[in-house]
Amino acid sequence: MAGLAWPAIPDANGNILLGLLFQLEQSQWWTPEKLQAEQFRQAGELLRYARDHVPFYRERLKDFAWDGRQPLDPNLWAQLPVLQREDIQTHGGSTLLSEKYPKGHGKTRKVNTSGSSGKPLTVTSNAMAAIFWNVLTLRDFLWRRLDFSAKMAAIRFDEKRRAQYPEGVVVDYWLKSAQPFLATGPCAVLDIATPADKQIEWLARQEASCLITYPSNLEAMLLYCAERQIGLPALSHVQTLSEMLPPRVRTLCQEVWGIGLSDMYSCQEAGYIALQCPDHAHYHVQAENVIVEILDDDGKPSAPGEMGRVVLSDLHNFAMPMIRYDIGDFAEAGEACPCGRGLPVLKNVMGRVRGMLTLADGSRIRPDFGGPYFREVADIRQYQVIQKSLETLEVKLVAPGGLSDSESNALRQMILTQLGHPFDVVFSFHDEIPRGKGGKFEDFRSEV
Amino acid sequence: MNEISDLPIPTPSMAGNLWPVVPSQRAATILALLFQLEQSQWWAPERLQAAQFRQAAELLRHARRTVPYYGKRFDHIAWRHGQPLTPEIWSELPLLKREDIQGAGDRLHSRALPKSHGKIATISTSGSTGKPVKVLTTELTATMWRVFSQRDIIWRRCDLSGKLAAIRFDRMKRAAYPEGLAAKSWGIGSGATLPTGPAVVLSITTPVEDQLEWLQRQQPDYLITHPTNLEALLMYAAQERVRLTSLKEIQTISEVLNPSVRTLCREVLGVGVNDMYTTQEAGYLALQCPGQEHYHVQAENVFFEILDDRGKQCAPGQVGKVVVTSLHNFAMPLIRYDIGDFAEVGEGCSCGRGLPVIKHIAGRVRGMVVLPDGRRHWPFFGSGKFSSVAPITQFQLVQKTLDTIEVKLVAGRTLSEGEERSRSRQKSGPSCRC
Repeated sequence: MAGLAWPAIPDANGNILLGLLFQLEQSQWWTPEKLQAEQFRQAGELLRYARDHVPFYRERLKDFAWDGRQPLDPNLWAQLPVLQREDIQTHGGSTLLSEKYPKGHGKTRKVNTSGSSGKPLTVTSNAMAAIFWNVLTLRDFLWRRLDFSAKMAAIRFDEKRRAQYPEGVVVDYWLKSAQPFLATGPCAVLDIATPADKQIEWLARQEASCLITYPSNLEAMLLYCAERQIGLPALSHVQTLSEMLPPRVRTLCQEVWGIGLSDMYSCQEAGYIALQCPDHAHYHVQAENVIVEILDDDGKPSAPGEMGRVVLSDLHNFAMPMIRYDIGDFAEAGEACPCGRGLPVLKNVMGRVRGMLTLADGSRIRPDFGGPYFREVADIRQYQVIQKSLETLEVKLVAPGGLSDSESNALRQMILTQLGHPFDVVFSFHDEIPRGKGGKFEDFRSEV
Repeated sequence: MNEISDLPIPTPSMAGNLWPVVPSQRAATILALLFQLEQSQWWAPERLQAAQFRQAAELLRHARRTVPYYGKRFDHIAWRHGQPLTPEIWSELPLLKREDIQGAGDRLHSRALPKSHGKIATISTSGSTGKPVKVLTTELTATMWRVFSQRDIIWRRCDLSGKLAAIRFDRMKRAAYPEGLAAKSWGIGSGATLPTGPAVVLSITTPVEDQLEWLQRQQPDYLITHPTNLEALLMYAAQERVRLTSLKEIQTISEVLNPSVRTLCREVLGVGVNDMYTTQEAGYLALQCPGQEHYHVQAENVFFEILDDRGKQCAPGQVGKVVVTSLHNFAMPLIRYDIGDFAEVGEGCSCGRGLPVIKHIAGRVRGMVVLPDGRRHWPFFGSGKFSSVAPITQFQLVQKTLDTIEVKLVAGRTLSEGEERSRSRQKSGPSCRC
């Protein structure tokens, strides 16, 4: 607004974002009971809308005993059938689309998920998704206690391949949609396909104080720096996204660069699912955006400390309601957080179901093969482990000199010791192991 | 932990959206400002002042360019827009007195109000010194008013679902005893954004006996009224041994609160008094600190100075005259406006807020009118309209006997008989002689 420097009245979009952020600043401190009650109030709107205007739910909720007015509760909610990825794929998702949209929810848009589970998916959302994405991004900035005037560096998937080494691309905002009302430092972007040594050279040149990248890429950068004792004195924080974060990378970041990292859990289908607590290594569900359930094999809620499937409901997508959607990830439920926030806690996010190793007795674990130490055995530059059966692991290697028999044996022994379970280990050799769609890299994949 | 986490959820504005609420544009503006205020209250005094000067620089440039009165008056100031505004430059700006406003007329009006500041409205006020002035306001200043009224509610940790009773000036004459006026919400400031419980209003010219009876009937959680009226109400309640058990807190507005009224209120009704310092001309100047009896300047709304006789800033413990600059009124900029009150500068507050502290305020003191039958009520004389009758620049009313009020006037000329008749008489009750 002309003549108004402080306090500012942003543009229409900015008003809505800050108006929501004002509410989120409060709701994060609510009790879990109050949060759940409000989630169910909102979910009631969604459910009623879905039953009235979405063919898929009209059919599926035919026998669901709810009059649309009585308040939802956990028991009622648990009776709703879980939506599987296959349900969406069956009709190309078309029966999941609303026949009409509520006024004010904005234009619809389509999002293609990366299909890292081998089942690509198209999800339709609307302006509400963008609003909540942006407001939770702002919450993340606040939780990280970032200095808004600082420079950020992002090394990430660059679909249009414009952020090429040696320059990358520099933009003068952290979050484009907030730019009209939120002055931040610049953000330098580099394509994640850039080799680690060049990434480090670029990052040192940027003198950024915050780095955003994928865990697998961060690990490669950290190992490179550890080997050459390279420090990045300007860097004070690292944020990871998009892939499962192995706990060892957290430790490594502290050891090599002497700084902490924070992780987030998001998806294309529903936006932010959980952000790392500002004071702890675990995650807080973004309860204002999604209902997250962690369910065991019987469909019962997992107790704190137990692992289960992630089932989520996007509270604001009325264009293609995703109610109790099994996203195909595993996570571990957590105890209430001592920070005082009432937002539910995820102790760990294990990631994709196919990132889990199935043992002979049928149980699943998130495997650790000790990958970073492979280089102690031989010149191994990249690896990927694939579970082929309940007995067999294929270990793909990029090792220019190949492996001698003794190196093979040593590596096999190292893997099995670290894993703690017996497997047949088969090595295969490659020139390069490419990243998957969306730039994600899986160091392990199960085909079981 | 956050002390505002028990605020209600804003009023929904969109189908299918109950929580968190994607607010209407009007509500979003207020919430976006509140979001900023929630942070800025904790800023260091230096950071607050720097932000104030950034805003004041915008105002100053606008005033110099578009307000005839300032064009000349600020001619000697070497500062140019783009240069940082400093306390030294600021202190060179001449003070604006009430007489200046009375004399300047529309030369204080901007010739080019930015369109985005919205429609202009006019208010008349007699202020603290009986010198009536007319001031232009905009939709932007009205928005600021609403924002600070909500900060007030947040600071006081009000239970917004409760019932509010207001015994105040009733311009529209709709809140007469015995019923008063019932409203669904606490008012524009809060109701438009955050849902509240109901409110009831009673005209402040109601005799205190009837006020007390009305309050007993209404059973409100909160009461808002003027200090003079509250004092009379408390004394009567003490005499009649009446307690208002539903009351959680009383808020006083508009006049100086004598500290003895706080004590009396605790003794008689067992609840605390929360005071605020507002003016019609510049909106919210200060709110009582949550948990303390002193006041925090609403630095996001006004630049507030307390000056000694030589025009220098007073130190903590010193009393000086109050000079305010409304940071967002671009229709009729009031820059370094001497509002005629006095206040004592306070030390930094232990609550942690960086907003400047006012220890005491000394402003308008008002007595209750005593009617011939012995009943007492808060006096209203329609003084805002005195100047429409004749060129009256100051007034004071003194009740000499049960049926005589002396009206002291400063006027450009002697009043005609017709002019004398046309005001005052009806306002204090038909049986009074003026």
